[in-house]
Amino acid sequence: MEGLLTLWHDTGIYHFEWKQLVMMAVGAVLLYLAIVRKFEPLLLLPIGFGAILANIPNAGLNDEGGLLYYVYHIGIDSGVFPLLIFMGVGAMTDFGALIANPKMLFLGAAAQFGIFATLFGAIALNVIPGFEFTLQDASAIAIIGGADGPTAIFLASKLAPHLLGAIAVAAYSYMALVPLIQPPIMKALTTKEERAIKMEQLRPVSKREKILFPLLVLGACIMLLPAATPLVGMFCLGNLMRESGVVDRLSHAAQSEIINAVTIFLGLAVGSKLSAEYFLTLETLGILVLGAVAFAIGTGSGVIMAKIMSRMSGGKINPLLGAAGVSAVPMAARVVNKVGLEANPQNFLLMHAMGPNVAGVLGSAVAAGVLLALVG
Amino acid sequence: MDITALLLEAGNLMLVGMISVFLFLGLLVIVVQTMAKYCPADIPAAAKKPAAQPTNNTLNPKLIAAITSAVQQYRDNK
Repeated sequence: MEGLLTLWHDTGIYHFEWKQLVMMAVGAVLLYLAIVRKFEPLLLLPIGFGAILANIPNAGLNDEGGLLYYVYHIGIDSGVFPLLIFMGVGAMTDFGALIANPKMLFLGAAAQFGIFATLFGAIALNVIPGFEFTLQDASAIAIIGGADGPTAIFLASKLAPHLLGAIAVAAYSYMALVPLIQPPIMKALTTKEERAIKMEQLRPVSKREKILFPLLVLGACIMLLPAATPLVGMFCLGNLMRESGVVDRLSHAAQSEIINAVTIFLGLAVGSKLSAEYFLTLETLGILVLGAVAFAIGTGSGVIMAKIMSRMSGGKINPLLGAAGVSAVPMAARVVNKVGLEANPQNFLLMHAMGPNVAGVLGSAVAAGVLLALVG
Repeated sequence: MDITALLLEAGNLMLVGMISVFLFLGLLVIVVQTMAKYCPADIPAAAKKPAAQPTNNTLNPKLIAAITSAVQQYRDNK
């Protein structure tokens, strides 16, 4: 009888607290979003499963010595996983469209206003009792507006590890929602004629330019913003491996095997941060709201900047391109293409939108570097 | 820290952040434009190939035809 009782004391049912059940439900919702709705499944699936694993009573996966504990400390606490992902993203990125039309970098810069405006908004939220965001917290939340998962995780792990779970979930969920969030903002800020503007064909870019570009970006970063070099450096390494053409095997590994393996563990580690004590708070709600605001402002400021550039160039730039300035590669560029086609069925903006899109990746990495240098 | 001081600091961060992001990417614009000026385009190399191929493929048969007909005429005359 006593043995039975001991066994009963060891079951999951005996030890469950309601908060753990709620968090497992959150994990299940993420699995549902990933599998049924196909929202960023590559990340939300391991994150959702990680959330379930992390909240199993008595299993201790998240305690010192547990699997998730080690995965988190090796990969995210150290900042290694997001940087490896960034190397893979660099190896997958073609900067051709940006090199052909470098002014698009300004759109990538303008869209980062979403980040800094949200930083202000997060601090302003402190007026409501129950919110106590420090500048570090606010910066980590604001980077959601960069629409770049690895950058958000990297910055959150450095500035506000206790908010990492919520920030990563918000960042990836909103990235999946880009096709829903962006079009209304893009349409509200532009006229139909502006959306129909056709753009000149991009010039072909030489191989030498493509090889030099990552080196030049790295050089500028080394001199002006060393705080951003972990992100930008790994990104440039991946891109150089791609463009140099002499290490195809490494480039291939970076953009498939390595990034895939890291994604599994990154997802699990983020999921491990979805424990009840950190996630079931008022702050999480605030983060979800602020993340959406950051996205919307980033899209809006990008479009406004593109409108200004369009006026200055005498109507040669389609203002929709500004929306691609938030990174979210290549989703944002596809959205631009789609909205452009609605206004003019002959107008294919995809290649043009890739320019500001990859500029957005650089922009958010630079913004993260600025925040690290100023707040970290 | 009280909220007004925090807000001031956040506003300051917003200003400094946006300026530095714009300066950095603006510098990159200049760098890329200068690079484009000094980098020879791939086009000559790419253009050479299609220009060289027709001489091999289309001119040769004509040449051969001309030569054979000339030879034939020469033989006929003989």
